[in-house]
Parts: sequence; structure tokens; C-alpha cells
Amino acid sequence: MSGRLTITFEDRTIGAFPGQSLGAALAASGELALRHTAGGDCRGMFCGMGVCQDCLVTVDGAPNQRACMVKVADGMVVRRQAAPGETPPARVGAAPILFENLQTVTADVLVIGGGAGGLSAALAARSCGLDVLLLDERQTAGGQYYKQPSAALKAEPLDRQQRDGAALRQRCEGAGVRIIDGAETFAALDAGSVMATHAGRTAVYRARAMVIATGAYERAVPIPGWTLPGVMTTGALQTLWRSHRALPGRRILIAGNGPLNLQVACEVMAAGADVVAVAEAAALFAPARAGAALRMVLHDPALTATGLALMARARLGGATLHFGAVARGISAVEGGLEVELGSATGGHGERFVVDAVALGYGFQPSNELLRALGARHDYDPGIRALRTVRTRECETTVPNLFAVGDACGLGGAPAALAEGEIAGLAIAERLGARSPAGVSADAAHRRLEGHRRFQAALWRLYDAPSPRLSLADDATLICRCEEVSKAALLAAMADGEPSIGAVKRRTRAGMGRCQGRYCGPLIAAHLAEETGRPLDERALFAPRAPVKPVTISDLVGGSAP
Amino acid sequence: MSGFDVLVAGGGIVGMTAALDLAREGRSVIIVDEGRHSGTTANAGSLHIQMQSRFIRMYPEQVADLERSLPLYPAGAARWRELEAELGADLEIKSSGGLMVADDAGQFAFLADKCARERRLGLDVHMLERAELARIAPYLGEAVHGAELCVEEGKLNPLKANEAIRTTLQALGVQRLDETVITALSPAGHGIEARLSHRGGQRSLSAGQVILAAGSGTGQLAAMLGVTIPTVAEPLHVNVTEATAPLIGHLVQHAERMITMKQLGAGQVVIGGGWPARFTGPEEFPTVDPASMIGNLSLAQHIVPRLGSLRVIRTWAGVNTTTDGQCVLGKLPGHDNVFSAVPGDAGYTLGPLVGRMAAALAMGRDPGHDIARFTPARFG
Repeated sequence: MSGRLTITFEDRTIGAFPGQSLGAALAASGELALRHTAGGDCRGMFCGMGVCQDCLVTVDGAPNQRACMVKVADGMVVRRQAAPGETPPARVGAAPILFENLQTVTADVLVIGGGAGGLSAALAARSCGLDVLLLDERQTAGGQYYKQPSAALKAEPLDRQQRDGAALRQRCEGAGVRIIDGAETFAALDAGSVMATHAGRTAVYRARAMVIATGAYERAVPIPGWTLPGVMTTGALQTLWRSHRALPGRRILIAGNGPLNLQVACEVMAAGADVVAVAEAAALFAPARAGAALRMVLHDPALTATGLALMARARLGGATLHFGAVARGISAVEGGLEVELGSATGGHGERFVVDAVALGYGFQPSNELLRALGARHDYDPGIRALRTVRTRECETTVPNLFAVGDACGLGGAPAALAEGEIAGLAIAERLGARSPAGVSADAAHRRLEGHRRFQAALWRLYDAPSPRLSLADDATLICRCEEVSKAALLAAMADGEPSIGAVKRRTRAGMGRCQGRYCGPLIAAHLAEETGRPLDERALFAPRAPVKPVTISDLVGGSAP
Repeated sequence: MSGFDVLVAGGGIVGMTAALDLAREGRSVIIVDEGRHSGTTANAGSLHIQMQSRFIRMYPEQVADLERSLPLYPAGAARWRELEAELGADLEIKSSGGLMVADDAGQFAFLADKCARERRLGLDVHMLERAELARIAPYLGEAVHGAELCVEEGKLNPLKANEAIRTTLQALGVQRLDETVITALSPAGHGIEARLSHRGGQRSLSAGQVILAAGSGTGQLAAMLGVTIPTVAEPLHVNVTEATAPLIGHLVQHAERMITMKQLGAGQVVIGGGWPARFTGPEEFPTVDPASMIGNLSLAQHIVPRLGSLRVIRTWAGVNTTTDGQCVLGKLPGHDNVFSAVPGDAGYTLGPLVGRMAAALAMGRDPGHDIARFTPARFG
């Protein structure tokens, strides 16, 4: 890693490495409380990937900057953001423009999202000679699986997963895929066009076919204390280390459901963290799960072995592994955060005092652009989420609109790679492009079949009832942004048989900066259970532009302040 | 469930406030709301009083009618303030004044003419030159040349208002059927029978009187009784920014371009003003048009440059109702027990007043304003 630079946070001087996110630099210095809420609480980085909007700080006078997405720069002056927000700085106005005045950028194929699925789709379509444009919201494409560090960090890849990501990106660049990093796609216009902001300007991107590969974000399971600074998603903890080489403290506890938790426990232990405990909601070694474990061995012995090795490594590293256990609550105490473990159904268990807590309960597809374009989705109880309806070639119900990876159904990165290749080749055929000699999608289809079987067995092995709202107490906030408590939300949901929109208007739940990404699925599931309302596209908040908050001056292409 | 004194078709601001007055007078009331557009309570919360330039420009033939309706608007805003006191709830009503801004001398002259006419009609309006404007509205950008100030204009929080009225109705025993469509209305004995459809199930109910307060759906309901009311649904785009410290005190509009802006109590800035949204799918679900987002917000940051640093976090489509610029309020021709209650331009501002007048008509009382020219019979 390269030399240090310095920033100030609330008058304290803090060292940072070039290429780190501001949030990572602050976390590494123990600064976890980043903004004040209207309710008088403090918040810190929660999702670490630009979704939750809880890490807002004021940077050099500019309010509403996500610490997890902004790169540090020498001499930055950073302050905790007050509620309801700082007065925006004075600036020079620009003459009004219309949609027709926006610049249009064209390509044969547009790929939205530069994770495993998007990069793979782009490479496949490009290998057939098509002009491919890929938009990724992060400063360095790679997505949540490869988690690529910024080039400025000059960090060696940690392992094969990170090397594979760097190699895939290099192959895309070498093949001539046009990758635009730092491009926020905020609206879909039709099957082949979107609007995105990049470097402070908005453009319309148009193509003959489009691949949506927007991945997933972490599912919320509200427990008392889950909004405290220092409590974050497992993915956020992983990003801190893998992309930024920072840790949010020494003592860490990880709790939730799914294989990512153990993997991240081992990664941060290797980085020097003291992982005191890992709580897994599923009773992994229950005899009833042996069949699922056996099927995993059959479909991917290497990956299964990796999983077992992770458990062994976590134990050797000193973590206590708790199966069939959840984090029941977190409170701020002298010297850190106190976490209480217990069973999902009740009972009190061991308590641990740590610096940071990671909660990982699986994922929620980022399917907003697909839903906004009218692509059909069906609720899949297996993944407790909407699954995009697709052909074998990954085309949605909207012609020429393709979708791959976790955005359409949580299949994992290896499946996303195969789906990307299948979609890229199918688009090439659709557009009359010739694939290189000897290349067909058959091999990708075979790999995809194996990955899907492995994934299905993995789901069964890790199957645990979703705690949804059951671990929250009356005062626990369900809508983090608008600070709506469980009691207020339950009262609003029990009054008549309201739609999710009526619940939103009654309580403000879902009206905040994260656009209802965390509370929305919880409210929809509760209403479905209580009133029999179908869990379909209409069950969630309407997917409207902008699908991510977008700065007005960027939106209208205005000048910098 | 069969006999009610009054069936109110439409659970938006007009229907709810009509039901409120009726229930307080001991009438048994049921509200039936289609909820299809989820638009009946999707309000932006401006309290409009001066004539909106958008209508003057789009419908010049309606200006005479607009001017005749002008005295209703201060009465509408006053009714809101009374209602807030009656409900005992904080609706965040602010009579903070409204500014209609001009970019140049030509627009300023247009506003000065409008201002003079409105003063003659009794509105408290003034023209402000640049220097004076900068003093009371320092958030406005350099591009603003001057403005017309309407002292009584303002804003309220529609979420709080609608919820306070809804729960008050509930406490008064007013029944409410949501997501329920009226498929037929027909005279039956001394009353009206309504056929209802709810999630595929059918039922009927009868009521002595019916108030049609269904916004753009009113025309369709009136047609069931052989009466023409040419209501048109106009889906409009609304943007909401992230919260910020108090910045914009007034309700802000533009002399020539479509925009309304206001900051509500939670700190979010609501930006709308007539940019089109659209209906989509077989159920005509209102959805936003991203092109409106660009045009509308671009204009907003032209008028208030500081907005450029804020992010837009939500957009939605509200459904406005247009007819001929005036209220459609009165007894349906040929039906002594059916009343229409559709506010003219700026339906949310006029809503509680129109609801009150409709309830008065149903109870055979004086509505308190001359409503002869609002009769639904005018559409022949």
C-alpha cells in the first residue's frame, strides 16, 4: 500500500491510504458514528455499498456524501452530518434544460452492473464483435463478489477470488469492452436505454439490447440495537477489509444466516481481527441436513471442502461457533457494543462485548430497473424474494431485455458468470453477430446446471426460518431512515387492510433516502401474512426513477459549486 | 351492511371532509374508495391562492372562470386552518406566503398585470423588485428578476392531514371500503343502490344520498346516472429531495414555466407543478416519466441554485382532475339525492371547503357561497 495522507474529522487529524473510502479510513481510526438523526441517535456505516445512506457526512462543506462511496483525498475536512441535514452551499444556477438536451451515448449492448454476471455478459457479447458499454456505480468495477480494491490503494489481491475478479476485468478491457466506472444508473427508459450520471453529468445510454446485472444487497433483520454505529452488514465488514484494507475495530462478532458469515470471519481473522463468536441461525449439523450436505459434495466437492475448512480455521482462530443461534440484541456499553446471543425462538444466551458487529441474513435482489421496465417477477418462497421470469437464454418477458446474476434470483457468483456468458452469446445471435469458432453456450449451460444444484443444496443446508420482525422489540426501528418503530408500523398495518402504499403514507416508512430497500420487503411479507395480499410486484414499493438518490446538479448536468 | 344515510364515493380530501361534517351531524356515512391510482390521497400539500400561470397559459379560455372562482381560494385556506384546530392535530399548516417568480422584465410585467387584477378581486398580493425579494427570499438565485407575493398562500403536510382526518372519521364510526370499485349506481325507492366490487367479490348497498367526490372518476360515476361531467385525469409528476435544514420558506412558483416548490416540516423539498406523468398497464397505474424529472428539477435549480447540492430521493405521480377550471358542485340534474363535489383547479387547497359545501347541500343547508355557476347541469 502506498503512503499515508491525512484528513480531518470533527477537528481530529486522521491518517488514510490513497484509494480508501472515507468510511474505511474513519472506521480504521475508530470513528464509527458518522451522522445524527432527527430522533437524536447517531448512525454509522451499515451496508458499506452505497444503499443504506446511513453514513452521510459533510465533506468540504458539501452535505449528504456517503462515506462508504467517497474516496479520501489529502486535506479533506469531514464533519458529522446534522439532522435534518446541512444547508446546501451557495452555487451558481444553470439555465434550465430539458430531457432532449441530454447527451446520448450509443452502443450495441448495454450492461448495467460490473460484477461477475455483468463482466461475463460484456465479455461474451464483445467476443462476438459487438460494441459493449458497461456502466458500474463503483469507482472500480468488480461487484460485491470480487470486491476489487481501488488501483490507488496499490494492494495485492488477497486470494484467488480477488485475482479472478482482476483477471476478468482485464480480459474485458483487453477485449475492448467500454467500462464506465462511477456511473450511477438511476432510470430505465425502455428495454435498451437508461439514464445515468457520471462525473457530474447525466447522459442517456442507448443500445439494441440490454443486460441488467445489478446484483443484490443485504436483507434486513431488525434486532434491538441494529442501528447503532459499529453494527453493519457482513458484506460491509468484508468490503472494509477486501476493498479498503481497514477494520472497524479489533473485537468482532458475526451473526446471521448463510455461508458468507463464516467466510468473512476467516478473512478478517487473517487480517488480525479477534472474531469472538460467529452465530449461525441454521443448525448446520442437524441429521436432517445430511442429505443436503451430501448433495453439495456431489455437485461441488471443492467448494464444500472450502466450507469445511473455513469452519476449522474459524475455530482455530479462537472464534466460538454457535449453531442454531442468533444475535438477540445489541446495546452500547462502556468500551464497545454488548451483543446477546440466544435461540431464534427465545431464551437468553451468552453476552460478548465487541467493537463491531456484522449481521448477515442473506440477500435481496436489486431488481428495481427490471421491475420499472415491466419485466415480470414471481415470488419465490425458496429465496423469500421476487425472481425475474426469464427464458433459458436469460431474456426477461420484455424483448431484448436480459437479466443475469443475483438481481434476478440470488444464484451466487459462479452461476452469475455462466448466466452472463449465456446472455452475452444469446444477444450476439439476436443481433446477428458471429461468435468465435468453437464457442457455444452449451458448456455454460452445463456449468450453470451444476451451480444451481449446488446452490439449492446449500440453501437447504442453511435453511432457517426468517426472523423478520420477531427479534425486534416495540421500540426497534424498522424503517431506519424515517425512524419508524416496530410498534408504530404494526399499528398502521393492523388498521384495516392497507396496501404497502397506504402504510407508507401513514407512517413515512420507506420515504427516506434508502428508498424503502430495508423496510419494504419486511412490510410486504407482514401484510401478505396478515391479510393474504399476494406477494407480487405490487406488494413492494413502486420502482420509480430515480432508483438511487441522484444529486440534482448531476441530474441536470449543472456546473460544480 | 345495507342502509346508510349517505354513501360518499371517493376517500380523498373532498370525500373525507364531507363525511366528517355529515358524521358530526349524526348521519351514518360510508366511504367507498377505488384506491386504484393510490392517487386519492397522493397529495403534494400546496395551499394555492393566486392564479397559477400554468392554467392561464394552458387554458386561456378558462381565465374568466378562474377569476370568478378566486374568492373561494382564501376561503379554502381558511377552512384548512379551522380544520387543523378542530382536529387538534398538527398538520404543519404554514401561511408562509407564496412567490411567483419572474426571470425578466417581460414576465414581471405579466405578473404585475395579474397582480393588479387579483388585488381588485380582493387578494393580498404585492409585486416585489429584486432587492426586496432578496431580503425575504435569500435562497432565490441570481436569475430571478422579481416576483409576485401572495401573502395568504402556504403549505401543509398532506400525510399528517390525511391521516388525522382518516382516524377522526374512524372514531366517529364512519365506515370505509378501500380498494372497492362502484360498478353501478341506480335509483332505488327514495335512495340509491350501489353495486360494489372488491378483489373479485360483488356486493350491494343502499344509501339515502350519494356524494360523488371521486376526482377524475366522478364523470364515470355520474354517467351511471345518465349525467355528463367531463372530468379528465391528469397524472402529474412530483419530486421529493432528501431532507435539509430550513431553506425555502415560501411556496414558490414561476410566472411562465411549470413548477411549484415547497419545503415541508421534515426538511424534504417537494418539487412539482404540472410536469406530466403517465398511466401504464391495463390498470392504468400512474407512473413517472423520467423526462419530467429532468425538466422539472432543472428548472428548480435554476430558481434555487442551492438545490443543486441535494439529491432527489423519490418521485411519484399524483392525479389531478380537470374539467373547465371551476368546481363541479351541486345536485345532479334529475337526481335530488345525488351531489357532485369536484374542486376546480388546486383540488387539495379547495378540498375541505368543497367537502363542507357538499355536506351542507346533502343536509339541505346553505353552503355559504354562491355555487350556482358550479352546477353539474352546465355540461348539458
